[in-house]
Amino acid sequence: MATTKTETQNLSLKRESPLNRLRKEWAGVLILLLLAAFPFLFAWFSGTSVTDGPSRFWQGLMITFFIMAVYAMSYDLLIGYTGILSFGHAAFFGGGAYTMALWLTHAVPVISSRYRITLPGGANITEVVLFVAGILLVVLVVTLLGLLFSAASARVRGVYFAMISLAMAEALHILSKATDFVRWTGADEGLHGVPVPAWINPTQNRLLFYFVALAFALIMYLLVRRIVDSPAGRVFVAIRENESRVRMIGYNPVVFRSIAFVTAAVIAGLAGALFSLWNMSATPTMTGAIMTINALIMTILGGIGTLVGPILGAGLMQIVGQFFYQWFGPRWPLVFGLIFIALVIFLPYGVIGTWRQKRYAWKRAIQKMFGKG
Amino acid sequence: MMRNNFFRDNAALLGVVVILAVLGVVGYTSMGQTAFVRTTLSGLTLGALFFMVAAGLTLIFGLMDVLNFAHGAMFMLGAYLGWQFFTNPTFLFGLAPLILALLAPLFGWLFARLEIPEALQKSAPSLLGLAGVVVVFLAVRGLDILDLAKTAMVATMTAADPLAEATPQEALSIFWLRTAGMFIAGALLAMATSRPGDKTRTVHTDQVRRALIGAGVLLVFTIVATLFREAAPRAVLLWDANLRFFAALLVGALLGAGIGGAIEVTLIRPLYVRPIYQVIVTLGLAYVLREVIQLLWQPLAYQMSRPPLFSQPGKAENIFEWFRTNSVTVDVLGVTFPSYRLFIILLGVLMLVALALLMNYTRLGMIIRAGVQDRQMVEALGINVQRVFTLVFMLGAGLAALGGIGAAPFIPVQPNMGDAFQLQAFIVVVIGGMGSYGGAAIGALLLGLARAFGDYLALKYSLSPAIAEASTVIIMAIVLLVRPAGLFGRKE
Repeated sequence: MATTKTETQNLSLKRESPLNRLRKEWAGVLILLLLAAFPFLFAWFSGTSVTDGPSRFWQGLMITFFIMAVYAMSYDLLIGYTGILSFGHAAFFGGGAYTMALWLTHAVPVISSRYRITLPGGANITEVVLFVAGILLVVLVVTLLGLLFSAASARVRGVYFAMISLAMAEALHILSKATDFVRWTGADEGLHGVPVPAWINPTQNRLLFYFVALAFALIMYLLVRRIVDSPAGRVFVAIRENESRVRMIGYNPVVFRSIAFVTAAVIAGLAGALFSLWNMSATPTMTGAIMTINALIMTILGGIGTLVGPILGAGLMQIVGQFFYQWFGPRWPLVFGLIFIALVIFLPYGVIGTWRQKRYAWKRAIQKMFGKG
Repeated sequence: MMRNNFFRDNAALLGVVVILAVLGVVGYTSMGQTAFVRTTLSGLTLGALFFMVAAGLTLIFGLMDVLNFAHGAMFMLGAYLGWQFFTNPTFLFGLAPLILALLAPLFGWLFARLEIPEALQKSAPSLLGLAGVVVVFLAVRGLDILDLAKTAMVATMTAADPLAEATPQEALSIFWLRTAGMFIAGALLAMATSRPGDKTRTVHTDQVRRALIGAGVLLVFTIVATLFREAAPRAVLLWDANLRFFAALLVGALLGAGIGGAIEVTLIRPLYVRPIYQVIVTLGLAYVLREVIQLLWQPLAYQMSRPPLFSQPGKAENIFEWFRTNSVTVDVLGVTFPSYRLFIILLGVLMLVALALLMNYTRLGMIIRAGVQDRQMVEALGINVQRVFTLVFMLGAGLAALGGIGAAPFIPVQPNMGDAFQLQAFIVVVIGGMGSYGGAAIGALLLGLARAFGDYLALKYSLSPAIAEASTVIIMAIVLLVRPAGLFGRKE
């Protein structure tokens, strides 16, 4: 039906020339250019310096937005595309954040005081190598977490899985708050003042961090889009729609659910790692249930089962949230919660989803009108 | 033959009993009597609280297939309401007239015969609903709810004379306008939900008459609540503190049930066609309730004081002496144990007995048991399942709220207090099997004991109780992986 048609369109799109593709995605490219130019445009319009004052503050907001957008997107890959009701997404985000923060705080100083890694030319690249090693460690840890979750999802479905995933994430949350590991994790307080390498330090090098976060969001968006459009991504959607049928056709849903889980976990974990770099801290709130609910709110707000939706939702939550904070004070999430409930009841497909539905209806109506006339 | 069946049917139960007995003997010999008895009693206290949260969760899921992620929030809400009522009920009595006024005209049958022009019929419900919401906003505009909420917060700090903090409220001359506004808003909402102008619906005169009586009674209540909204809190504060505490248990449970009913009707009911969204909406609701509580009472932790019945200084030699002395601790088998926690155990047992009676000997219980087994069949037999759903949701929310107030005097009253209990209740429900309150009771007992002994072991090996709490998740994972239907659940 309609889906097969879009599928063939997508497949044919891949063989098109780059210029033609650019023309088709002009809106995305335009938004990207605007985002890249945002610090300079903002500074120019407000008449302030790019590196401090309000423009620094707004860059900070945008950085949080980029990270949250990636986090929400990874959640949508699970709940929107694969149809897995997982309420433990904070485990991946917080797991990534804690891994990065622990690595930078406890491992890197020790290693770099003992060893030096130099290029043949003599340049000291210890810091960079250790940073990359940290990222790889994050990927490893969250992959293991993702496998743990997918092992549970192989056995239980639906709300049972929702429950067990929430419980598993909550166990991690409890451990991150446990006083036994206070020497390493800082217990309730969390890890603060993480020694972030100078070249990516958000306080010293805010503008650079902005572009790092933007590039991260862009790469992750393209990656997730590629996954969703790939044959494996089609199987994800098929699992959401009718799992037994997928099994009938000959795909193993367990394998594909695991793929979805590990992918989402890695993306969320990387977002968490970047978030810990950005805050220069890792706190128990990053592993808490509120973090999962935030992902859910951003996804539902923008539109479940779309990629642009979670990004838009994250943007609304961060940018509009900033205004809400000014209007309603520190309890502004209440307003978002109420909007969320209203959306679930009245507009379950979110902003993007509803627009897409209506757009097709309008298109059909127009076609009908002109087709007959 | 009979004996065979008995053993096979109750294999899980017998296994649990045997394991508990073996563990009990091992624990008793290795821990010594004092530590063993104390840990067991702590376990029973925890188990009683877990049961109160888990019983509602399991009934709601078993009957309606709704996994209520806001159940921990109901527990928290119950604790706050009970704490308010016990410490200074000004907030509750100050808002009561408005809530009652909003409810009074919600007897939709009154408007079922309303004539509406054909052209307006499609948009009338949403227009009326919108108007109702607008009127609600107008009615509460400028009402300082936060100031009302502050009363109990301040009262905790000046515990000596609670009456000193019974602050004067808004003048009646302004306040009755609010009540009237709420009444009009309620009428508008009632019109919106009663399918105005729908000619396909037949309305019995009897129904209209009953709705009229119901609305009239509530109107009288509203007027009484409006007139006594300042005198009532003072009167309650002059009551004996023990009486006030038991009243707080009752009021909190009833209010919890009422809120639960409102949630079911407004949020859960429209979503039975989209089950996933029901779960999502309950999660959002938990978020909203927590924010509302933080808005009203700040994100702080409060300590509700114990009623004098459980707080006289000294130690009773046995339970019977406690009835005379009302002392704060009781000597149980050589262990000094807080008397209030024994009361919690008693409350949990009473709840189990009451629930068992309700489920086995009343018509509602019969319908619930039948509905858990086969919902379609119950519907097909002409039973108003929707009303039973609402009742069960109210029952579950009320039980959770009761657990919250019960727990309030010995754990800090704070916005996230329900989260831990909800998590443990999930584990209980998974162990016990969805839909079985007996399973929930045994699961709660097991988990409570496991937590208490886990804490004991953790302390022994100089670890924090957090490790024991986190490791209970492993129990849940093992049970789910080995027996997804739970120990006492039916196989699907």
